[in-house]
Amino acid sequence: MSSAVLHLDEVSKTFALAKGRELTAVDKVSFEVERNSIVVLLGPSGCGKSTVLRMIAGLETPTGGTITLGETPVTGPGRDRGMVFQAYTSFDWLSVRRNVEFGMKINGVPAAERREQAEHFIRLVGLSKFLDAYPSQLSGGMRQRVAIARTLANGPELLLMDEPFGALDAETRWQMQELMIDVAEQAQTGMIIVTHDIEEAIFLADKIVFLSAHPGRVKEEIIPAFKSGGRIRSKEELVQTPGYAELERKIMRLMREEGQHE
Amino acid sequence: MRSPSPHKSRFLEVRRPVSRRQAALSAIAIWVLFFGIWLIAAEGGMVNPLLVPSPVQVFETTWNLFVDRGFIGDIGISVWRVVLAFAMASALSVPLGVMMGTFPAIEAIFAPFVSAWRYLPAPSFIPILLMWFGTGEAPKLALLFLGVVFFLITLVMDHTKNVRKELIETALTLGANRKVTVLNVVLPAVLPEIVTAMRQMLAVTWTYLVIAEIVASTTGIGAMMMRARRFLKTDEILSGIIVIGVLGLVFDLLFKAAHRWLFPYLQEKR
Repeated sequence: MSSAVLHLDEVSKTFALAKGRELTAVDKVSFEVERNSIVVLLGPSGCGKSTVLRMIAGLETPTGGTITLGETPVTGPGRDRGMVFQAYTSFDWLSVRRNVEFGMKINGVPAAERREQAEHFIRLVGLSKFLDAYPSQLSGGMRQRVAIARTLANGPELLLMDEPFGALDAETRWQMQELMIDVAEQAQTGMIIVTHDIEEAIFLADKIVFLSAHPGRVKEEIIPAFKSGGRIRSKEELVQTPGYAELERKIMRLMREEGQHE
Repeated sequence: MRSPSPHKSRFLEVRRPVSRRQAALSAIAIWVLFFGIWLIAAEGGMVNPLLVPSPVQVFETTWNLFVDRGFIGDIGISVWRVVLAFAMASALSVPLGVMMGTFPAIEAIFAPFVSAWRYLPAPSFIPILLMWFGTGEAPKLALLFLGVVFFLITLVMDHTKNVRKELIETALTLGANRKVTVLNVVLPAVLPEIVTAMRQMLAVTWTYLVIAEIVASTTGIGAMMMRARRFLKTDEILSGIIVIGVLGLVFDLLFKAAHRWLFPYLQEKR
C-alpha cells in the first residue's frame, strides 16, 4: 500500500450551460497526496484548480471519476478536510478563541480540551496576544491566521487552501508562506494549496500539480529536486537555492504555453 | 482681488466632514428657524389662529392633556398596539425569513405568496377587517400586522441570502450539519441586519397605527386627534402629531441602543 492519504482518479467536472450545451471545467484529473506532504495546484486562470479543490472538500460533486480519502470515497464536506478560503471567513460575532474552538465545539470536544487545543493553535499562528479580540479588530493577515488555526484545531487529515494569501499585501504574504512551512511540520497535516503565484508554489510545494486550461487537465507533476534534503524555511533562502531560478523559468514557460491557446 | 489661500476655510467644502460643534449648531438652527417662522406667523396674525395656533399654545395644550385629561392613557394604548402587533409580526417573519433565505425549497413555496401580498396596500383590508373582527382591538392589531409582516419577511429573507457563501462552506468543512449551520452560523451572521430591518419596519408600524386609530377607534392617540377635530381643537391635533413624532424617535433610539448592546463586535472596527 502506498503512503498516499488522498487519491484522485480521473476526476471530471462538467457544468450544464443554457440550451443543452456543456462546459468541461475539469477533465480526468488524477494525482495523489502523500501523508503530511504539501501539494500545490498551480495553473493559469480557467484551469479549474479551485473546482478540483472544492470537489476534494466535498463542496462540489464530480461528474466523473472518484476521490478517495484513505479508504473512504468522498461524498460530501466533512471535518477530515478543513478548508481555508481567500475571502475572510472569521465568525465576526465570536472572539478569536471562540472562533478557533468552533469546530471542536460542534463536534462535541469537551470544554477543557477545547480550550487547551485552541490556545495551542493560536500560539502556533502567533496570535496569543489576541485571544479575546474580535476579528473586526484584526488585520487581514491576522484573520487568515485565525482561519488557519480554526481549521487545524479541528484535527483535519488534510488542510485545503484556496488562494489563501491572495488578498494580502506582499510582506504579509511572505510571513504567511513561511508560517505555513512551520505549521505543516508542527501540525503534521497534509495540505493542498491552490495558487496562481509561481514563487509561492515553488516555496511551499513538496509537489506541484500543474494544470492546463480549457479544460483543466494535469499537464505535469513537478517535484522540486532541490528540496530533497528538506523544506526551505525562508524566502531569502529560496531565491538563493541552486535550481530555483531554473524551475521558475520552466513553470513560466508552461504558463505562457497555456496562455497562447486562448 | 486676493489670491485664494489654500488654507482658507469656506463654508461649502466638497465632502469635507463638519465638526461636532458645527453639526450641533446646524441642527439647533434649523429647528429654531422652523419654530420662529411658526411663532411669528401665528402671533403676528398672519394666519387664522383657529387653524394654526401658536407653538406656545400647542405646548401648553400638550401639558394640559398630560396633566388633566389622561393623555398618557391614550398613549399607553397606542404603544401597546404597536408593540403587540409588531411582536407578532416579528415572531412570524424572522424564523420564516431566515428559513426562506437559507433553503431555496422553502423560498420556492412562500416567496410567490409573500410577494403578491406585498403589493396589496394594508388599509384596503380595513372594511373587511371591521366586518370580521368588529370594533375591538383585533381589527387594529390585524391591520398593523398585515401592514408590516410581508415586508419584514422579505427583508429578513434578502439579508439572510446575503450571508456569504464562504461562511456557510467553512461551517460545512468544519463538520457542521444543517441545524448547526443555520443556528450557529447563518443566524448570528444575519442578526445585526435583522435588528436593523426591524427598526425600519417599526417606523412603518407607527404609520399604520395612526391610520387604524383615525379610521376606527375610540381610544389611542389617533382617536384623540379625530375627537379634537370635531371640536375644532387644532392645538390638540398638533399635540398628537408632536407626541407621535417623539414616540417614533424614542423607539428608534431604543432600537439603536439595543443594536449597540447586542452587537458590541460591530463597534470595534479599527
